[in-house]
Amino acid sequence: MATNRWLATGNFFSSYREEQRIFFTALDRSALLASLCLLVLWPLLVTIDGKYMLVIDTILVAVVAVLGLNLVTGFAGLISIGHAAFVGIGAYTVASFARLLGENHVVLTHAWPLLILLGGLVGAAFGALVGLPAMRLKHLYLAIATLSFQMIFQWVINFMDFFNQGQTISVGRVVWPGGTVTRGQHYLFWYYVILTVIVVLAFAVRNLLRTRYGRCLIAVRDNDRAADAMGMHPGLTKVYAFALAGFFAGVAGGLQAYLYRGVGIESFTLHHSINYLAMAIVGGLGTLHGAFWGPAAIKALDLLVEGFSAWVGEMLTISGNLATAFKPLSFGLVIVLFLMFEPRGIANWWRIARSYVKQWPFRY
Amino acid sequence: MSYFLQLVVSGIVVGSIYALSALGFVLIYKSSRVLNIAHGQIIASGAFITYSLTVWMGIPLVLSFALGLCITFFLAMSVERIFLRRLIGEPIISVIMVTIGLMSILDGIIYLTPFGTENFSFPPFLPTTPLVFSGVSVSWTQLVGVALTAAMIGGLSWFFRRSTMGIAMRAVADDQMAAMSIGISIPKVFGLAWALAGMSAAAAGALIGNITGLNFDTLHAFGITVFPVVILGGLDSILGAVVAGIIMGLIQQFAAGYLDGSWGLSSTGEIMPYLILLVILLFKPHGLFGIHEIERV
Repeated sequence: MATNRWLATGNFFSSYREEQRIFFTALDRSALLASLCLLVLWPLLVTIDGKYMLVIDTILVAVVAVLGLNLVTGFAGLISIGHAAFVGIGAYTVASFARLLGENHVVLTHAWPLLILLGGLVGAAFGALVGLPAMRLKHLYLAIATLSFQMIFQWVINFMDFFNQGQTISVGRVVWPGGTVTRGQHYLFWYYVILTVIVVLAFAVRNLLRTRYGRCLIAVRDNDRAADAMGMHPGLTKVYAFALAGFFAGVAGGLQAYLYRGVGIESFTLHHSINYLAMAIVGGLGTLHGAFWGPAAIKALDLLVEGFSAWVGEMLTISGNLATAFKPLSFGLVIVLFLMFEPRGIANWWRIARSYVKQWPFRY
Repeated sequence: MSYFLQLVVSGIVVGSIYALSALGFVLIYKSSRVLNIAHGQIIASGAFITYSLTVWMGIPLVLSFALGLCITFFLAMSVERIFLRRLIGEPIISVIMVTIGLMSILDGIIYLTPFGTENFSFPPFLPTTPLVFSGVSVSWTQLVGVALTAAMIGGLSWFFRRSTMGIAMRAVADDQMAAMSIGISIPKVFGLAWALAGMSAAAAGALIGNITGLNFDTLHAFGITVFPVVILGGLDSILGAVVAGIIMGLIQQFAAGYLDGSWGLSSTGEIMPYLILLVILLFKPHGLFGIHEIERV
C-alpha cells in the first residue's frame, strides 16, 4: 500500500501531543462514558430472554477476538487465516485444566480470571511461534503459513485423546464473591465480565496505537522498507503483532470456554477463521471501532439468514436445513461486496455520518 | 516390497491429480499474482458439473467430461471478469480476501445442491477388475486418470511453448509493463489464465470423482492441500507444480501406509503436507523451482 488509504484526509493537528490524545474532543469522552453507562445499566432495567443474552455475549466474545485480528490484519497488514485456531488455543488451555483436574476443580471455579489470562498468554506464545516465518516472509506466504497452522491445530485436537478428540470438554460453573453463578445468572454474569475485558482491551489497543510500538505496526504495514530505514525492525514487529493477536484471541477463547461451559473443536474450524476475517473486513480493517461493528453486523446477518432460510424452507417445503447453504453464501457475498464497494467497512459509514452531523448545516 | 510398490502406485495416482490441480493454481498466480483460495471449490464444481451431466442428463461420460471442462472454462472466466477484474491494482490483502469470499459463495451454492451433503459415485465405465502386475494392482480408472493428467499437462505445456496466446501469457507473467507495451491485452490474459485454471481444476475434480467418489468434504480438503503442493514446487513454476504434486502424493501415501497405526497415530496423510509446508516456508520459501524473488524483511 503506497498511500495510507485507511486514514481520512485532512489532518489538522498542530502538535504531536494533540495527535496522541486518546479522546479528540470532550464530546467524544462524554459520549463514550454515556454509552458505557448505558451498556452497564440496560440489563438491570430490561430483562431479556437468556437466548438473546447468549447472542449478545457471543458478539462480545467475537469483539475481543476481532480486536486482535484487527491488530494483525488491519494495523500490521498481515493476513491471518488461522485466527480461530488461536481462539481455540485459549479455549483449550482452559479445557486442559478441566481435563486434568476435573471440571469442577477449585482452580477452574475460583481462579477463572487467571485461567483466562493464561489462555491469552498461551495464545500469545503460539502467535509468536506462527509469526516466526514473518521474519522472512511476506503477506502471501504468511497467509499460507497461518492456514497451515489452522489445519495442524485441527488435526492435533482431533487426534489427541487428551483433548477428547475434539468432542466437547465441559467446564464447570464459576464462583465469584457473590457465590456460585447460577444458571439464571450465567449469561448476565458473563456479559459483565466480557464487557469489562473489552473495555480494558479496547483502551489497551487505543493506547498502544499512540505509542511507538503501535505506530511501528502501522509503519510496517504502509511501507516496510521505509520502516526499516527509519530504524524499526519489520520482522520483529510482525512477530509481535502476531503475538498480540494471539493474546487477544486466547482471551476470547478462554471467555468462550466459560461462556459455553464447554470446549469442542467445532467452534474453531477454518470456517470460523473466515468468519472472523469477515467480521474484521465488514467492520473496517485498521479502525478501532470497526472491531465492534463487524461482529455485530455479521451476527445480525447470521440471525437474519437463519430466519430467512427457515421461512424459505417452509415456503418451498424443503426438509433439509437451508441455513447451511445460505450462511456461507451470504458471508461470501458480504465480504466480496464490502471489498468491492466499501473496503473501509462500516467504520467508514460511521465516519461519514459523524462528519455529516458535525458539519451540519454548513456542508461545504 | 509389493506393499511399498502399491503405495508408490497410489502415490503417483493421487500425486498426478495434485499436480493437475496445482497447475491451475500456479497458472493464476503466475499471470495475475492472485492467490486463489477458492481453488478447491472450483475443483469441486467441475466434478459436480461433470457428474450431473453424466448421470442426470444421460450424456456419455467422455462427452460430459469435455462439456464439464468447457463449462468450468467459462465459469472461471466469468469469476475473473465479475470479481477480480475490478480489483486489479488493489492491495494484495483485498485480493486474497475476495478469493476467500468467493470460496464462501461457491460453498453456499454447492450446499444448495444435493452435492453439498450427499455422496455420489460415477457409474463405472471401465472394466472394474484391476490390472495386477506382480502383486501390485492398478485399477483402470487410476491408469486412465494418470494418462489423462499427463495428456492435460502435455497439452498445456505445448500451449505455453508454441501458441501465440500461450507465449503472450508467459510474457505477461514475466513483465506486465513490457507485455503491455507490445500490445498484449492484460485483461484478456488474466481471463484466459483463470479459464485454463478452471479447466484443469475441473479435470482434476472429475478424476477424483471417478477414482474415489464424490464427496464435498474430500474435494474441499483437496483444494486446501494444493497450498502445500504449490509452496513445495514454488508458487510460480509449472514444472514445480507437477513435480511437487507427485512428491506430495507419494509422501501422503507413505505416511498413511507406514505411520498410521504405529504410536497410535491416525490420518497422518492429511497432516503431513502441512508440516512439510511449514518446514519449507521456514527454510526454503521459494520452493524447489520457484524464482528467488522473496524479499527478506
